[in-house]
Amino acid sequence: MPEPELRLVPPRGPADVDELMRRAARGDAQAFEGLYDELSSAVYGLARRVVRDPARAEDVTQEVFLDVWKQATRFDVERGRAKTWVMTIAHRRAVDAVRRSEAQKRQDHHGAPDEVSHDEPGDAVIASEEHGAVRECLGTLTDLQLESVRLAYFNGYTYGEVATLLDKPLPTIKTRMRDGLIRLRDCLEGAR
Amino acid sequence: MSTDLHTLSGAYALNALSAEEAEEFRRHLEACPACSQEVRELQQAAADLGTSEAIAPPAHLRAQVLAAADRTPQMPPRAPAGAVVEMPRRRWAPRLLVAAAAAVLIAVGAIGVTQLQGDEEQGTLLATEVVQVFEAEDANTASMETANGGTIRVATSPGRGEMAVDTDELPPLDEDHVYQLWAIQGDSISAVGVLDREKGAAMEMPTPDTEVAITVEPVGGSQQPTTEPIMQVNPSDV
Repeated sequence: MPEPELRLVPPRGPADVDELMRRAARGDAQAFEGLYDELSSAVYGLARRVVRDPARAEDVTQEVFLDVWKQATRFDVERGRAKTWVMTIAHRRAVDAVRRSEAQKRQDHHGAPDEVSHDEPGDAVIASEEHGAVRECLGTLTDLQLESVRLAYFNGYTYGEVATLLDKPLPTIKTRMRDGLIRLRDCLEGAR
Repeated sequence: MSTDLHTLSGAYALNALSAEEAEEFRRHLEACPACSQEVRELQQAAADLGTSEAIAPPAHLRAQVLAAADRTPQMPPRAPAGAVVEMPRRRWAPRLLVAAAAAVLIAVGAIGVTQLQGDEEQGTLLATEVVQVFEAEDANTASMETANGGTIRVATSPGRGEMAVDTDELPPLDEDHVYQLWAIQGDSISAVGVLDREKGAAMEMPTPDTEVAITVEPVGGSQQPTTEPIMQVNPSDV
């Protein structure tokens, strides 16, 4: 008769982001500080990449963390990791900021795009674990998948705008975004 | 969901839909668990993409954000009032190990089905992975008295696929003895591990016919139990 098997769950560190979120949901300000320390570089870096202007990226970062604080009570770990949730909010906020300013520009009849430099000297780029894996996995995407994903994610274009920019039919772009992300997901899962 | 809408999952995960399209897509997600799962996975891939751009924010932003949060009230949980603290009632039916152990095992039924309240911040030593099972949205918890006069709390979370025991209320042992955890299947018993009483333990959900027991053993633990269990539980009864 085979021996009954029971595997213990290995200890998880106190910096577990899901755990911090759970505590923040009960009004634990210290846990919220922990969340900021764990995630602010990821949030700010993404905001910088999307909205480009450092001062606006700071605004976006603050909005994101206030959203996280307010809505932590509604975070449900069964529906995804806390970090993914925060980064989804961050991206949405950043994209909203870009679209608002684009709309404003159109209204002001100023067609010229922002001429803000991409990387400010002195930025402390965080060599995250994700960085190497993501770069490697992006290499597995086709050119069209990569362009579609990047223009949407980092430049905040809608898929309709991406289709126009790349001069491709809408359904093609829609599909490339999906299969590009699926390929990225599968590759990153393998790397984990 | 129609095939056509389904292919929007990538654009949705990239926030590349107009506000109206996103709203329509969200409504579809509510009715399609498989689509929600795909969106979650694609959102995670997108989040990894975002994380790869990490840059440390200016130092002054930290104090600014924390001060702003301090002035901002949190939203009430989505669940209706009352549902937050009230756990689904499960009948607590502790099973006896073997006839011989029955005399020793004084498992008192229905002591309580409780969820951890906010009090464990007062310096609990419970391990994070244990707290996570007790705090899981779908947690079933139960507490029972043990044969040596202590109390043990057990939680299972089908969603996490985990089970945990809070052993902090067990009587402390002298330095020559430890609590040890066992998995039992019929006549077959295997050692799972020696317990850190204050931390508790979390484990993957045992198979349905596997029970979990705790005994007192000489320091270092034993290959097979040398004493009668102080408690034994079938996880599916929690």
